[in-house]
Amino acid sequence: MSFAVLLTVKVLAVLGLMLGGALVVIYAELKVGAHMQNRIGPYFAGGRFGWAQPFADALKFMQKEDLVPDGADDRVYKLAPYVVLMGTIGVFVVLPLSPRFVARDLDLGAFYALAISSLTTLGVLMAGWSSNNKYSLIGGLRAAAQLIAYELPLVLAVVAVAIQAGTLSISGIIEAQAAPAFSIGELNVALPYILTGQIIGFAIFVVASLAELSRIPFDMPIAESELTMGFVTEYSSIRFAMFFLAEYAGMVSMSALATAFYLGGYQLPGLSATAVEVLGPVIFISKVFLLSFLFIWLRWTLPRFREDQLQSLAWRWLIPAALLNIAITATFKVVF
Amino acid sequence: MTDSQSEAGVESTNDTTLTDYATVMATTVGASSWTADHGTIRLLVDRSNWVSAVEAASASGLKFFSFLSAIDWANEVEVGEGVADDAVDERYDLFCRLSSTTSADAVHLVTSVPKDDASIATLTGLFAGAAWHERETAEMFGIDFVGNSNLTKLYLPDEFEGHPLRKSFPLLAREIKPWPGTVDVEDKPSTTNVEADAGAGE
Amino acid sequence: MSTLDQSGTVHISDASISVELETPGMTLNIGPQHPSTHGVLRLVAQVDGERVSSLEPMIGYMHRGYEKLVEVRNYAQIITLINRIDWTAGYANEVPFVVAVERLTEIEAPDRAQYIRVILTEMTRISAHLLFLSSFPLELGASTPLMYAVRDREYVLELLESVTGGRFHPNFNRVGGVKPVAGGGSTTKKQSQDLPAGFIAATNAMVKRLRGTCVTFDGLVTGNEVFLARTKGVGIITPDHVHQYGISGPNARASGVGFDVRKHEAYLPYDKFDFAIPTETDGDCFSRYAVRLAEIRESLKIIEQAVNDLPGGPLRSKVPRILKVPAGEIYVRGENPKGEMGYYIVSEGGRIPYRVKIRTASYSNLAVLPELMNGALLPDLVAILGSLDFVLGDVDR
Repeated sequence: MSFAVLLTVKVLAVLGLMLGGALVVIYAELKVGAHMQNRIGPYFAGGRFGWAQPFADALKFMQKEDLVPDGADDRVYKLAPYVVLMGTIGVFVVLPLSPRFVARDLDLGAFYALAISSLTTLGVLMAGWSSNNKYSLIGGLRAAAQLIAYELPLVLAVVAVAIQAGTLSISGIIEAQAAPAFSIGELNVALPYILTGQIIGFAIFVVASLAELSRIPFDMPIAESELTMGFVTEYSSIRFAMFFLAEYAGMVSMSALATAFYLGGYQLPGLSATAVEVLGPVIFISKVFLLSFLFIWLRWTLPRFREDQLQSLAWRWLIPAALLNIAITATFKVVF
Repeated sequence: MTDSQSEAGVESTNDTTLTDYATVMATTVGASSWTADHGTIRLLVDRSNWVSAVEAASASGLKFFSFLSAIDWANEVEVGEGVADDAVDERYDLFCRLSSTTSADAVHLVTSVPKDDASIATLTGLFAGAAWHERETAEMFGIDFVGNSNLTKLYLPDEFEGHPLRKSFPLLAREIKPWPGTVDVEDKPSTTNVEADAGAGE
Repeated sequence: MSTLDQSGTVHISDASISVELETPGMTLNIGPQHPSTHGVLRLVAQVDGERVSSLEPMIGYMHRGYEKLVEVRNYAQIITLINRIDWTAGYANEVPFVVAVERLTEIEAPDRAQYIRVILTEMTRISAHLLFLSSFPLELGASTPLMYAVRDREYVLELLESVTGGRFHPNFNRVGGVKPVAGGGSTTKKQSQDLPAGFIAATNAMVKRLRGTCVTFDGLVTGNEVFLARTKGVGIITPDHVHQYGISGPNARASGVGFDVRKHEAYLPYDKFDFAIPTETDGDCFSRYAVRLAEIRESLKIIEQAVNDLPGGPLRSKVPRILKVPAGEIYVRGENPKGEMGYYIVSEGGRIPYRVKIRTASYSNLAVLPELMNGALLPDLVAILGSLDFVLGDVDR
């Protein structure tokens, strides 16, 4: 296959994965949230179960007028949603759905994924600053503060994983989880990292990604009851839809990273290598949606923290816990 | 949770205890006269004693500042029905309700303010909550509260002219279309009281 | 600064840093159109980063001039009008006014009417408090309690509608009693109409159901760690504030001032029922929430007793065709869901009052807001606004 064809296929696969995943999660949010609240949720669009509601929403957004507020920093304002979306799409490039189904398997995959996903916060800050709206500005600054506070525990949690796996490649980490944790007689049992020492790391990773994604209980950058809609207050039309899409695509990518680092990725204990080769994508995506469901569940249950409480949680609890986790992991790695 | 008051507290305001209480309070605040009809104690005080009277009432246990407002007593009215006899003293009556938070005790302190010199000392030194009530009374009646630093309009637009609750202020909607004001009531009295017959007596 | 220290996150060193790097504050206009101002309230806040240094509420966007309008209406017409003051508690607004007019005219409403007034007032209280239980967590970011509260509020409103024909503005009281119930045609109007069929059974079912709602809220909201972190120690109203500003109702009772008009004034026969006045002592947002939740339970108790002891007899006393109210001045207050609501009526002997001063609870309750702000953060502002539970119609009249 020529490079150009391969590249096109890869680009389409990454986009398809991102869009497909985001649309499913958006639909799940509408439907699951509705049922948690004694509602039915989307019902008519598409004929059955309102399955076409995310598409209808997207169409609706496209028809709206694209407004730029007076006095806004025009170019930055228009660029911001692209930056946010790019930061989200970038993560999908390194996600391995099966041992061979991966757009680009970087040696520093974990490092790259965490770095590129931080780009979204830059976009959020740009949106908040350029909107010429005080609510947007406060929202953008909250997002920046949140990034600084939560990027650290997120990275520290992954460091422990990298130590245990001995690699920074995402595929490598998943493969390391296929190594037998213990054996009963003839049978070698491979367990994901969440069961072999990284349970604290997993908790830290999930909490920190909630904050990264600005989802309840850490949705202060949006906080519609305080800041109307935070940094997206002034956005309309397709640019708003891009923020919306980025939020849910971000949920998929963060769930995918957590799946790869802690839940064994495309592996399932007891499954042979050839079975993984075939069923890998199904297993991986199922785990991703399971985690996404957890995010949705939290969102419809909890109120919102205060910004200072979030900072206190990050600096006083999560970072020390993450450091301790690294120390323990490293000790075990050296001793055993 | 506390069941805060005994049953006796409910009926403490029968007529004799009410007049007794009114007498005591009238002495406390230095009222020139008082009434206690329908369970509502009104203590008339001098304009010059306004603040000290409120302070005395508050010190006697009525610490709860309920409200402050005014009445425009006028012989000529633009809206509604006028006074019963046409010889009322043209004045503003300022009234302030103080009550207790442990019993049903309460008094209304009333003072008269002449129309040509509509000003009185502020109560904001005693009750911070009086600030809004005084602003409202100032814009609605045009009474000046000496010592209240912020008497800007509370409800009305800044450029609004006039004092709406004065009896001389016409109600524009009624000027244009008199329904359902007094005219309707005079002509067809049965329309508004038709349910009166539907009660039990028949 | 004190509220910040309690959360243990801001220390003295932070304060000195912000003095060194002093930046001009920002004026933030919150409202008149804003998701958490409960209508059209404008707040002009001076903010230093997230911290609100001063705040001025600007009211008047809902001002409809009721005190002027009632001067051109007869007493029956006023009842329709005052329904709209606090639109979350339309029925409860009518009661003190009607009682005041009854006392001036020396007409007494029959026992049955009095009991019906109690039942409907308490139903109104429950529906207003359920609205609080839906909006307050929503302002803190939890959207699910809204759905549960609004769903169960529907059971109360349905009962209110079955009796009065109206869900929000029943206009059900008449001087000397209550109106014949909804749905009666001209033939039945001649008879003394009663409550709709099945009302008592339906009410008992509602009481049972709403008790379950309270338990749901205990699980979903009261014990929620995030909810506690956001509401405990935030926006403390002291008993001194209560007296200075005339704060009443659940807001005052959350600050340890256990005053309730229902226990102290015989405007309705509350002395016949066994119920408690829930009070809390902390005066913070959580106390205000807890008091309201407990009040729903007490109101259910009252309704249960009133419905099952409902006396027979007529619904309305004999009232003259043209109601002239003797000259006199009277103040009657009632315990509305938001607090003490009263009418100071000055009558000159005609069909129209000479002056009516309407004392509303939300007006006084909102006035304290700037006092609660020193050093609070922007998210606290929203929590405090929500916990004060005001209605702009009740503030502006």
